[in-house]
Amino acid sequence: MKKRGFTSGVVYLAADALRSMRANAASCALTAVTLGFSLAIFFLFLFIFINLESAVNKWGDKTHIVVYIKDTALKDGVERLRDSARFIPGVKTVEYVSKEKALEELKAELKGHEEIIAGVDVNPLPASFDIRVSPAYTDAQGVASVVGTLKAMSWASDVQYSREWVEKFSAFLRFIELAATAVGVFIAAATVFIISNTIRLTVWARRDEIEVMRLVGATDAYIKIPFFIEGVIQGFIGGVFALGVLTAGRYILLGRMPGYLDFALSLPLDFPELLAALAASGMLMGATASIISTTRFLGN
Amino acid sequence: MIRMFHVSKNYEGGSFALSDVTLKIAKGEFVFITGSSGAGKTTLLKIMFGSEAPSEGQIIIDGRNYFKIPRAEIPYLRRRIGFVFQDFKLLPQGTVFENVALSLKVMGVGSIEVKRRVQKVLSYVKLSHRANFRAAVLSGGEAQRVAIARALVKDPAIILADEPTGNLDPHLAVETIELFKEVNGRGTTVVVATHDSTLIARYAKRAIGLESGRVVA
Ligand SMILES: Nc1ncnc2c1ncn2[C@@H]1O[C@H](COP(=O)(O)OP(=O)(O)OP(=O)(O)O)[C@@H](O)[C@H]1O
Ligand SMILES: [Mg+2]
Repeated sequence: MKKRGFTSGVVYLAADALRSMRANAASCALTAVTLGFSLAIFFLFLFIFINLESAVNKWGDKTHIVVYIKDTALKDGVERLRDSARFIPGVKTVEYVSKEKALEELKAELKGHEEIIAGVDVNPLPASFDIRVSPAYTDAQGVASVVGTLKAMSWASDVQYSREWVEKFSAFLRFIELAATAVGVFIAAATVFIISNTIRLTVWARRDEIEVMRLVGATDAYIKIPFFIEGVIQGFIGGVFALGVLTAGRYILLGRMPGYLDFALSLPLDFPELLAALAASGMLMGATASIISTTRFLGN
Repeated sequence: MIRMFHVSKNYEGGSFALSDVTLKIAKGEFVFITGSSGAGKTTLLKIMFGSEAPSEGQIIIDGRNYFKIPRAEIPYLRRRIGFVFQDFKLLPQGTVFENVALSLKVMGVGSIEVKRRVQKVLSYVKLSHRANFRAAVLSGGEAQRVAIARALVKDPAIILADEPTGNLDPHLAVETIELFKEVNGRGTTVVVATHDSTLIARYAKRAIGLESGRVVA
């Protein structure tokens, strides 16, 4: 007996799937629309999270530590001191602020009130290193380890850093991360649940046909494949639809939000990438939903 | 080919459809299962087909013990058995051709081969002129012959036919049994359940009698 090749077999079953989709156009469209809205919401949350995180990382990049240098240490040469700071793990850049520069900066800040320091002859301000921390060390622990090492330096008179701010922010970020993951998982699960129920209705509508197929020797896989293909196609359509919803949703939100929050809605992906991501997620969800519903139906 | 040892079937409701059935059907044999309505004929065939599990006992089909047929193996068992259902189990919206073709399609037979074999079997059961009719519009006798064609088209090792002449006039009934005899002559094991005693009397074939779920002759 001549067996059909796997590929042409799947093409054959895909034709079956398309025929059934045409027959159930309304429920198919409903599935795709449901999927589209859920995906759009899911991606909106994802983007807000990504944007917040990158904003926080940018601020984290501004985390800096100021080490004041004992006047007595300066005569040994700034370069040597700078090297000893630069090679501490977690230190990204070290910028030297001389006594003179510190005074200039102070004067600039006091513009209009220069009389406060008018009588001062000797420069009372210490020289300092302005240290930026590499991204891996911007959390509370990382900063503390850099600060600890700096404090132990013999030339350091004082170390100042924004400890509380760093700690609060990394805790906040962890919270956002957790909340976003929870919301994401919830939306994905709810979507798969809703869609698997819609697909279950189409499976149910074809139960007589499925029974006959089983009686003449169809395997579970043979019965599932058209529904699987249907789920994937619906997922794809839902993904494309989601792009429209997301674009429209963004547009509406951007018009109603204070401008300084616009960054939260910027797109981390370009258009084709976004379309690909939405379509792929839609197809994955459609496939999962069809596997769940057909397995539940056949598994008795 | 088919052996049963002390097979009993107790449906959920409580009544015994089969009690302590032991039988042996040899490869290439032609056997009638007889008995009045409710005697357990359909139940016996369903157990051989794996669509009902026995409550007790052992079944051996083709040398394989099937007390409890593993779920994944049922499709492959069914591909070797052509079953003619008492209520036909056709797809009403499908054409005659599609209904018969289904049993080859699910086995992965290519469409050219499917077409050739379905046309051949339809002419065999004298239904070529109905190939593109929807099953829903067929007469009882035509639907029955579609069910028979669907069982024959896959050249099964075993044919289990449940009341295959129930809707046929006496002339067609005889022709149908002749058809099964011909298939049997090519080596297929045939089991026909019927309460039509005139039909059984006409053929000198072994008949296994059932009465209230027990083998009586
Ligand atoms: N699914 C079921 N659930 C409960 N009882 C059943 C079921 N199927 C059959 N029975 C009972 O089992 C007994 C045997 O039924 P079966 O269908 O095997 O008889 P039969 O010999 O095929 O009858 P007929 O000639 O009318 O087709 C009957 O009493 C019937 O009511
Ligand atoms: Mg019966």
